[in-house]
Amino acid sequence: MIKIMPYGDHALLVQFSQEINVEIHRKVKALSELAGKLKGVQYYIPAYCSITIVFDPSLTSYSLLEKEIQEMDLKNDSEIIPGKHFRIPVCYEEEFGPDISEVAEFTRLSPKEIVEHHTSVSYHVFMIGFIPGFPYLGKLPNILSCKRKDHPRKEVAAGSVGLAGKQTGIYPAKAPGGWQLIGRTPVPLFQAKNKYPFLIQMGDLITFYSISGEEYHTIEKKFELGELKGKDFYA
Amino acid sequence: MPELQLKFMKAGMQTLVQDLGRSGHQQQGVPISGVLDRQSAKAANEIVGNSVDTPVIEITVIGPEIHFDQSCKIAITGANISPRLNNEPIANHRLQNVRAGSILSFGKMISGCRAYLAVAGKWNVNKWLGSASASTISPELLTPDSVITKGSTISITTNDQSIHSTTSIHQTVFTNIVRLRVIPGPEFEWFTKVAIARFFSTGHIISQAANRMGYQIKTSGMEHQKEMISSGIIPGTIQITPDGRAIVLLADAQTTGGYPRIANIIDDDLDKMAQMKPGGEVWFSLA
Repeated sequence: MIKIMPYGDHALLVQFSQEINVEIHRKVKALSELAGKLKGVQYYIPAYCSITIVFDPSLTSYSLLEKEIQEMDLKNDSEIIPGKHFRIPVCYEEEFGPDISEVAEFTRLSPKEIVEHHTSVSYHVFMIGFIPGFPYLGKLPNILSCKRKDHPRKEVAAGSVGLAGKQTGIYPAKAPGGWQLIGRTPVPLFQAKNKYPFLIQMGDLITFYSISGEEYHTIEKKFELGELKGKDFYA
Repeated sequence: MPELQLKFMKAGMQTLVQDLGRSGHQQQGVPISGVLDRQSAKAANEIVGNSVDTPVIEITVIGPEIHFDQSCKIAITGANISPRLNNEPIANHRLQNVRAGSILSFGKMISGCRAYLAVAGKWNVNKWLGSASASTISPELLTPDSVITKGSTISITTNDQSIHSTTSIHQTVFTNIVRLRVIPGPEFEWFTKVAIARFFSTGHIISQAANRMGYQIKTSGMEHQKEMISSGIIPGTIQITPDGRAIVLLADAQTTGGYPRIANIIDDDLDKMAQMKPGGEVWFSLA
């Protein structure tokens, strides 16, 4: 069951059952893609278990959109389109993941065990937020759960893979940030020059695998030369 | 058609190229961006005969110094930062004819916080996702023309058409105290009746932490320990942090957040917020 409520005078909020799970999230994805195409919708923000929909009041109204979304929700179940599955290489060496020792201390695991756990599961992209193209991935194996850094970094390198609470994520561009950095991927999640600059979307699936520093530089070079593209990392 | 170069001899405090922003990419976490005071920016473009989505220069508190190498038509709206053309004071909200070789400068801050400079013609500036607005991340890569520094230049193709501008565009007067109408947000009920009564019955002071992402506002008695699952936030959303600060989100804010949303400012009133400075007083009332 969804709940629809006003969000200011030119937006509405669709709330699903307030919990983090893949089943609910699939409905968020399916409904947000349909609702995003409704007449008068300017933009929409899908999250874990909600969708924020902003509209132009000169083209539609709250009550009309509410009715349209309710009707869509009723026949939504069969239209769930699975996302893409990516296999993303990550170099977990200290040079690329400066917080891996701190995380090792906190979790009482060795860096090698951290890598084994982090690469042991596939992650669902629950939300894109914080900065353009930043994927919030879950769920992280409980054993890797750790708090954010007490003092956020002023600058985190693009491609950095971090941990925060029960989540893991990837910085698509350099930005300030407080996540614990355990590695870095040479695969650009964000390519400004592309017509469609974002590699990953909410609803996609990501599995990480470990690479050496040397492999990191090889892949980085191949992207620069145009010999590798994002789609080469589909599982 | 003549090519005009604006050359920035001084940058000012925060001088940016902005238009109406990049709506439609927020599902990818892209901030809307765009001018903060949309009514003033649109008025500036209307006065010079541009379409309202033409870029403008957004000038905050301390103005730049600009050299014009060709003649052109300009208008300044929004905050009154004592604009001067070749050292002679000029008025806001008027069409100004600028001769080749002129210098536009600014002085004392009289009212408001952000001024808008429109220049008649086609702006030849780099766009990202359909907008010339300065990007909040990697601006040097994505919107290299839009963050003005000393020595920056902007190229504009001017035209000689006569301008049929509306001469009587209403100029807003900005004060240091403002009342903003709001609609209760999804987490409104999370706060006690006492906290809500206080929120609406006193003025709140804007702190120094006020920028294009949002304004922090001091409140009292709003502390909470509620956690919510991150959800969408938009310009005008008012979040309450656990230590009880209110944050009014503006155009450069991120698209998702995890603090309870007590209310949303109605869209018509949000432009007024953009003209407030730290130390200014805000009153909220239910729309």
